[in-house]
This record gives sequence, C-alpha cells and structure tokens, in this order.
Amino acid sequence: MNRRLGTINIKIFAGVLAAVAIVIAGVAVVRLDTTGKKGSGLGKEYVYDIKELAKIDPNLILYEEAVEAISTGFTDSRAITVDSQGSIYTAGDKAIRVFAEGGNLVGEFKLADVPRCLTVSGDGKIYVGMKDRVEVYDGRGKRLASWESLGDDAVLTSIAVSKNDVFVADAGNRIVLRYDTAGKLINRIGERDKDRNVPGFVIPSPYFDLAVGHDGLLRVVDPGRHRIEAYTFDGDLEFWWGEFSAGVEGFCGCCNPVNFAILEDETFVTCEKGLTRVKIYDAKGAFVGVVAGPEQLVEGGTAGICQFPADCQAGGFDVAVDATGRILVLDTIKNVVRIFARREAG
Amino acid sequence: MIRFGHIIFGVAFLLSLCTAVSASERFPPPEFESGYEQPSPTTPHPRQDIYEYIDAAVLLAGLSLSSYLVLRNRSRRAIFILMVFSLLYFGFWRKGCVCPIGAIQNIVLSVFDRDYVVPIVVGVFFVLPLVFTLFFGRVFCAGVCPLGAMQDLVLLRPVPVPRWAESGLRLFAYVYLGAAVLFAATGSAFVICRYDPFVSFFRLSGNLNVLILGACFLVVGVFIGRPYCRFVCPYGVILRQMSRLSKWRVTIAPDECVQCRLCEDSCPFGAIKEPTTDWPVHEYDRSKKRLAFLILLLPVLMLLGGWMGSGVRMVTARMHETVRLAERVYLEDEGKVEGTTDASLAFRATGKEVKELYEEASNIRAEFGLGGWFFGGFVGLVIGLKLIGLSVRRQRKDYEADRASCVACGRCFEYCPKEHARLKKAKEMIGKS
Repeated sequence: MNRRLGTINIKIFAGVLAAVAIVIAGVAVVRLDTTGKKGSGLGKEYVYDIKELAKIDPNLILYEEAVEAISTGFTDSRAITVDSQGSIYTAGDKAIRVFAEGGNLVGEFKLADVPRCLTVSGDGKIYVGMKDRVEVYDGRGKRLASWESLGDDAVLTSIAVSKNDVFVADAGNRIVLRYDTAGKLINRIGERDKDRNVPGFVIPSPYFDLAVGHDGLLRVVDPGRHRIEAYTFDGDLEFWWGEFSAGVEGFCGCCNPVNFAILEDETFVTCEKGLTRVKIYDAKGAFVGVVAGPEQLVEGGTAGICQFPADCQAGGFDVAVDATGRILVLDTIKNVVRIFARREAG
Repeated sequence: MIRFGHIIFGVAFLLSLCTAVSASERFPPPEFESGYEQPSPTTPHPRQDIYEYIDAAVLLAGLSLSSYLVLRNRSRRAIFILMVFSLLYFGFWRKGCVCPIGAIQNIVLSVFDRDYVVPIVVGVFFVLPLVFTLFFGRVFCAGVCPLGAMQDLVLLRPVPVPRWAESGLRLFAYVYLGAAVLFAATGSAFVICRYDPFVSFFRLSGNLNVLILGACFLVVGVFIGRPYCRFVCPYGVILRQMSRLSKWRVTIAPDECVQCRLCEDSCPFGAIKEPTTDWPVHEYDRSKKRLAFLILLLPVLMLLGGWMGSGVRMVTARMHETVRLAERVYLEDEGKVEGTTDASLAFRATGKEVKELYEEASNIRAEFGLGGWFFGGFVGLVIGLKLIGLSVRRQRKDYEADRASCVACGRCFEYCPKEHARLKKAKEMIGKS
C-alpha cells in the first residue's frame, strides 16, 4: 500500500514539476530577445560613453584663440596652408581663397573641380590636389600644369613640397608618391615591404596627411595605427611615434590624427576628429599640451561618435602653422579659420 | 568478454580520432596593431576542411558502432559508453555544431535560396543518420546524438507519461518542424539553433533564457525520459517516419517472445507496445464509421490549418528582420515611436528608399502567406493522421518495441529472460572455445 502511495506521490511530484518547468521554459522562450530591442543586456560599464573624454584639464590647454575667426565663405572647406609670407590659403568648393595675415581676403581663383588639399612652394607656386591629380598654379591663379591622373581609386588628401620634390598622399591607394617639381614620378613611399620593414599604411577614412620635417625626413600619418611615421625621401622607414589611447596623451578612435603641421621649433601640431582635439607633441612625440579641445572647437563641447559610416568619412579639421608660431585650424563644419596663439606665461 | 573488448577497441579508436583534432580557424582574425583585444566568440570557430571530414568520419563510425551494439551486440552498457563518447565529442568538444537536427534548416534554405550552398559536411550530417535509420532504426538517437545523450544521463527516476499526454505533446514536435522549415525557407531564422536548449551547456556560454530553458528540460528529464527527443525534436519527427520503414529493428527478445511481461515497464519512453486482444464486434463497427468520418475530415483540417497559417502571416513574418525593420521605420516616420534603433539608423544611412523597404517587406509577407498555407496544411495533416491512427487498431501478438518511438537505448534487453539465456549460451560458447 505504502509502495503504491509512493508511486502515486512521485507521479504527482513529476507532473507538478513538469508543469512548473513548462511554464518557466515558456516564459524563458517568450522573454528571449532575438531582435536586439532590449539592447545587449550588458552592464553600464560596457556602454560606449566618451563624454568624459571630451573634458580636458584646463591646465593642459596652452593656447587661446588670438583673433576673430576668418570666414572662408566656402560651404565645403577642405584644406588650409600658410606660405612663407604669412598669407593664408584655403581650399574648398571649387576655389582657392587667399587671406592676409590679418584675415582680409586678398585673392581668389576658381577651379574646375573640388580641391582636396594644397600647399605653396618657396617660389610661390600653388600645388593643388584634386581627387585624382595634382594641378599647379601661379600666385595669380593661372594654371601652369595638370599632372597625370592617378586613376579612379585615387583620393588625394595631402600635398607637401621640399626644395626639389613634391610629395602627394593618396588615401585611396594608401601610398605616398614622390614627384619632381615638373611632375615626374620618382618613387613610391610606404608600400608594404617586409624586406624594408615597411608595414604599409592603414587608412580607414580619407584622412592621410604628410609634411616635410625640418630634419629633412618626410612625416606621414598612419591614422589606422595612430602614429606619425618618418621616412627618408627614398622610402626607408626611420622611426615613428604615437600610440592609441583614449586619454589626452594619445590618439583614439578608428583613425587619428587626421591632420598635422610642424612648427618652427620642430614640435608637431596634431588634429583629431570624433573627439575633436588639437594637441602639441615635441619632436620625439612626447605629449606637450593642448591647443584646443572639444569645448573650444565644437558647439556644445561634445564629442562626436560615428553613427553612420559617412560620419567617419568627414568632420576632420585641417591645421597649419605660420612663421610666428600661430596655429590655424580650419573648421570644416563652420567653414572658418580659427587662429590660436600661445598663452602668455604666468 | 571478447565482445566487450571489441567495444573498448572501437571507442578507443574513436577517441584517437578525437585527439587528432585541434581547433583552427580558416580565416584568421585581422591583426590589429592598436591594442585592440579580439573578443572570444560564443559560437564555435569554423573548422578546416580536414577536420570537418574527420567529424563526418566520426559520425559514420559512431552510427556503425551504434547499429552493431543495438542490433547484434545488444548491450546497454556498450551503448551507454558510446553515448557518453558522443556527448563529449559532438557535444562538449564540437560544441553541438554541426548537428543533424539543425542541418534540417541548412538543407531547406538551400532548396529555397539558390545563393545558399550547403557545405558537403552539413549534407552528410543530415543524410547519414537518415540512411542508418532506414536500415537499422533510430541508432542515431541511441548512441550518437549528444542532445539525447545528455537527457539520457539525467534520467534517474523515470515516470511513465500517460498515453493521451504522450500523443498530444508529440504533436508539438511536428509543429516545431513545420515552423523551422517555414522560417528557414523564408530566410528568416534558424529557430532550431536559436532555441537549442543544450547548446549553452556544450559551449559553457550563452543567453540566460536559453540556459533556463535547458535547465528546465534537464530537471524534467530526471523523471520524464528524453523530453526534448520525444516532444520537441524536429529531426526526431523525420527519424520516426524513417524508422517505421527500417529494414532491421530493435526487438526486445533476441528471438521468440514468451510474453512473460517482465519488460512491460522497462521502457522509460513508453515505446513498448503490449499484445492486443481481439476487437469486440460492436466497437469494430463504430470505429469503422469513425475512421470514415476522420478520413473525410482530413482535407478539412488541412484547409483549415492552411487558412489559419496563412492568416497569421503578419505575425509570423515578423521573424524576418526586413519586416521588423520596415515596421520600425514606418512607426518612426509616423511619429508613433520615439528614437531610433541600430537597425533603423543603419537603414537610413544606406540612403535606400523607404518605399523599396516596404516593398521588400510586403513580398516577404506574401511568402509567409503562401508558406503559411503549407505550414498550416501540414499541421492539419498531422492532426488528422494522428486521429486516424488512434482509430485504427493494430494487431500485436507479442510485446514489441514501437518502431517509431523506440530510440534503441537497449534498456529493455536485460529484462528479457530469453536475452539472459542468450548471454549465458554465449558465455558457455566462449568457455568451450
């Protein structure tokens, strides 16, 4: 009798357990989020919040806005450079506009296409990088030459001149091209080459800047690796500096810095997008201080996150320096040139 | 002892294959040089070709060994050892993927989507157990399926499920199979994998809800033998039908049944059918009428099911991400919801026309409408055939393992006195030799 009761009890127990388990399992299945509507389910420590990073210690900010910003008049400004006389050249829309040191517009010439980058040589020639080719103009805007197209894949993003050479950064093909001043290709720099210990450039977005250093080495940004590399004109990689860091001393995001310039004392001015910052590094790459951070550069002082793929492909400011040590930042959103000067000590 | 030695050798051979396998990625992850740490994936790495073929070879060996152990050796202990091996290899080592159960969806998708090609190994995993079932019964369920093995191991206090509940609950597996085919055919989801209750255990990682689901199955499995296999497994549905046609099959007695009734309660899966008595004449007449009615009812049930299946297309189509996206975008554009989702943001970033999205969603709904007719019709057919099956009285003289339900676990063998006699005779033979 007891044995029979025991059998009945176990059946009842199993039945109740099965019923409870079915209910729990049903709830678990119904509550299972397969659409992502409920988010990742991870804690707040995993949330990507860079608001805090946008705040910069005021003691680190070494520069201040010196004069009123210059309006470029462009709707799509692209690049800025300063010649040896202190004239400010800006490229945008389908034109080049030249401003005097004080900010007055002193010249403008139209182009057939949208310029992407420009530089001015010691003899006053203006080298303008279009999407796929270089065009050379004199100071009055007369076109002197149009070099051979680099093909559909080319996206020229920076151009620099030395005494005998012109260097062109092609973000589309991830390569630096060295020409003579007549436009004859001399060699290619930065192609992946294990034997020469050249890793190749990592360029996720069309920001790929270069400049010739005072030490005679070519400096090229490798934005995907978050560093600035030094090459001989023959293409030997000598050294590099820069590291990834969400902190103010490093470069963060997918691809930074986007642009840079070199001051007379061989220090570097770097410009970052996303977390918009302009910073100073010494010749060896040690962090020195900040020219301006998101609070100074972006309305509301917020940090931008790439919501759309297109966001990552735009929004990078350009930077140039003049002989007096002023730093000129081309705000490509407001289309103005903002000029920063070193704060007085004390 | 000699036979047991053979088994040990067989298992050792399979284990040696297991040790030869090492995880390797076909496509190594990109080398980030910015300090980025590659997260550990929660799904298994793709396997190199040679290892995939080793998996297929292990499956073939497992099925062959299982067939031998079930039909010739008739040893529950050996089947159990093979089952443990399969659990370790296909479950914990291979992390439950590829498995024949989920392969149903790959096969279906390949039929409906010309751009989708089924890897050979997935095809092999789907076909091999079916072929073996056609010849030897459900030997895959017996000793090779890691899901079945996991449930078999926790079955400590079996309680019989009433026949009516067994029949009713089993219908769910057919509905699940139909739904899995519908969602795979429309490219919406692989629901069998999504709701696999044991894969989280195999991978030691997974969604909490799926872990709870798995835990529920295991807790129930302590008392009710293999609840997933019997009431949920969509592959089991196909195996059941194949097993009905099998050339050879499990028999409780090694030769003639003496109807001692010792095996009557030995099967925890309710797969032993007792001998039938003669049918009373008055009941026979009544059943004949009922059968005629049910046969006539069958197309009605199918039509009704199809109509219902098609009618709920607006709901079922939401399993497709494009339909969900279109609905979300519509609500956002109409101002009926605030904010955006990652999917709607990404869609807007493409610059694609909203009309185009709505048109795609509309086409998918139409596919679900048509698929719903087949799905509902299938469910109606299953219910109708089930009712017809209940109205047909089959004649059985002996205690028999039900061809469809028997998972060939071998538990009933040792209850049969004829089996004991066979083993004794075998021992004597060995002693003499």
